[in-house]
Amino acid sequence: MLQHAGLVLNDGTTLDDLVMRNSNEVSLRVMTDKELYSHEMERIFAKTWLLLGHESEIPKAGDFIVRDMAEDNVIVARGRDGDVHVSLNVCPHRGMRVCLGEAGNKTIHQCIYHGWAFRPNGDFIGAPIEKEKMHGNDIDKATLGLKKARTHLYGGLIFATWNVDGPSFDEYLGDIKYYMDQLFCRTDNGLELLGPPQRFIVPCNWKVAGEQSGSDGFHTLTLHRSLMEGGVMGGTAETIYDQAPGMYGVDVSCAQGHSLRCLEAEKTFKMFADVPFEGKSVVERLNLLTPPGITKEMIPQLFNNLSADQVEQLATIPPQVGGMFPNVLIAFIFAPRTDGGSSGALALHTYVPKGPDHVEFVNFIFAEKDAPEQMKRDMLQNSIQATGTSGTIEQDDADVWPVIMRNARGAVSKHITLKYQALHGHERPEGWKGGGLLYPGFTKDDTQWNWWLAYYDLMSAA
Amino acid sequence: MTWVTKSTAAPDSTTILRGLTSRNRVPLGSELYNRLLETLYDEAAALDERRFDDWVALLAKDLIYQAPIRITRTGPNRDRDVMRTMFHFDEDYNSILMRTGRLQKSAWAEDPPSRCRRFVTNVRVAASEIANEYEAVSYLFLERSRGDNPHNETLTAERRDVWREGEGGFTLARREIIVDQSVLGMSNLAVFL
Repeated sequence: MLQHAGLVLNDGTTLDDLVMRNSNEVSLRVMTDKELYSHEMERIFAKTWLLLGHESEIPKAGDFIVRDMAEDNVIVARGRDGDVHVSLNVCPHRGMRVCLGEAGNKTIHQCIYHGWAFRPNGDFIGAPIEKEKMHGNDIDKATLGLKKARTHLYGGLIFATWNVDGPSFDEYLGDIKYYMDQLFCRTDNGLELLGPPQRFIVPCNWKVAGEQSGSDGFHTLTLHRSLMEGGVMGGTAETIYDQAPGMYGVDVSCAQGHSLRCLEAEKTFKMFADVPFEGKSVVERLNLLTPPGITKEMIPQLFNNLSADQVEQLATIPPQVGGMFPNVLIAFIFAPRTDGGSSGALALHTYVPKGPDHVEFVNFIFAEKDAPEQMKRDMLQNSIQATGTSGTIEQDDADVWPVIMRNARGAVSKHITLKYQALHGHERPEGWKGGGLLYPGFTKDDTQWNWWLAYYDLMSAA
Repeated sequence: MTWVTKSTAAPDSTTILRGLTSRNRVPLGSELYNRLLETLYDEAAALDERRFDDWVALLAKDLIYQAPIRITRTGPNRDRDVMRTMFHFDEDYNSILMRTGRLQKSAWAEDPPSRCRRFVTNVRVAASEIANEYEAVSYLFLERSRGDNPHNETLTAERRDVWREGEGGFTLARREIIVDQSVLGMSNLAVFL
């Protein structure tokens, strides 16, 4: 039996009224409700692991970047010890932001208001006029540092959480790690961020973008039909719905709400339509259609870093798009170019809540560190032209989301429900090696519904 | 103004370069200045009126069209805020054709289209070292109206152009759009700047 959630809004609405687990529906009201938003900030964004950036952004001791954990601004810095530290960018003296720049190198972060000073690891150094003890007599210096978050590096990606005693990062990732490793932990020297992220504001609630990152494959056929019209994906403008390119594969997911869409790449793209993959060895397949970002010379590295089963999947039915709950979208896409290149695109987005009505879209663009400079250049262009601010794919997403948001404000409209009723149900394909919840065949609502169940779990936890 | 790439996310590579690089100024009101200003006005009109073929006709085949991101810096680096390793636009002639081609078909971001006004001001022109090529720096103020939303989205930027004079007039060979926001308030750049 379903248990009643421990969250009741002031007007008596329960979480079960909003996320309807019996009928797989979600009330549109969740996108605008201010009270719900404040609960989300405390129960989700102050609790779970959040992606902040990549360690290639801060290679040297003292290097720092400033990022947001929802509306909490943090300093992400490399300390003298070489470790990455994440500290709240709020001076414990009077609440001023300690670090006003977005990136740089500093051995001391000094607040411009009264001059309290901190090390890159957040430790308190002191206040000016040391002999007057302007930090007071009551609190020991050792406890006057910036509030520190718990951090974890995964494939060089920097994650942090305020939940010091909560689940470990591996527990947070769960069964999806097997698949994520194929994207983030597959080469000897790992990924490199090609530049600071693109940042822009979309006037919608973070969940309008977030629920799509739960591997909404279906919208591609209609919203992104220009991919088919442009001849990149299989099919043509006339046959989009008949051929449904990119729709059939294995969607993988887990109770933590993360998901990935694993697709046979040769079936996704026109130019491989006549290339037989059947009966070819793993290495032969990898040479025919090398995963995005990987050169043929780098193929042996895959075997150094992944299990044989993982490499076989990467060569056969690689994870391409998906997300991590609550607010990460993953796009590791094979992006054959009009000029014949096929270096692909590696992009991650975070959807950072900025009040109930706005989200900051942060677009991180990667390449493999060992890739040649020209390949990095190609991948930068591929990602910029497909994703983020001006990307021809995501321009269209950013056009839809604000309109959904405006609808959600209507007294009648807000009671409309989002429907996740096209469900396949977990089914393990024959011979499948990885774990998790598996949905073979046409992409359906299962993974997105799991995203909402993860939302429900965190929101109903006291 | 040649393009050099060194991919890095570390902020060391931020640069200060803005405005004209050539000192060989073309004075305001001169015949050459007026013709280039007229080209900038014609270009803005072509884009505002969504006459993309007319706009593409103004582009050189070796076009480089980029919008680097801006970041907020402090202290000794406070003015080094143009990050030329990451861009909002990173285009060449062919990718522009891909974009304008898409706009003729299913590009929901611009269907229905937004209504734009591109205000081009503060135009400064200088002759570059290459014959028939002129640097033109302008300010761009974009007002963009979408759907029935009464609040326009806006964007301000400096544009550092190289225009090449040929038989049929000027063509755009290089444009660097230096936007002023580190976080864009516009929810997509489905329009050209």
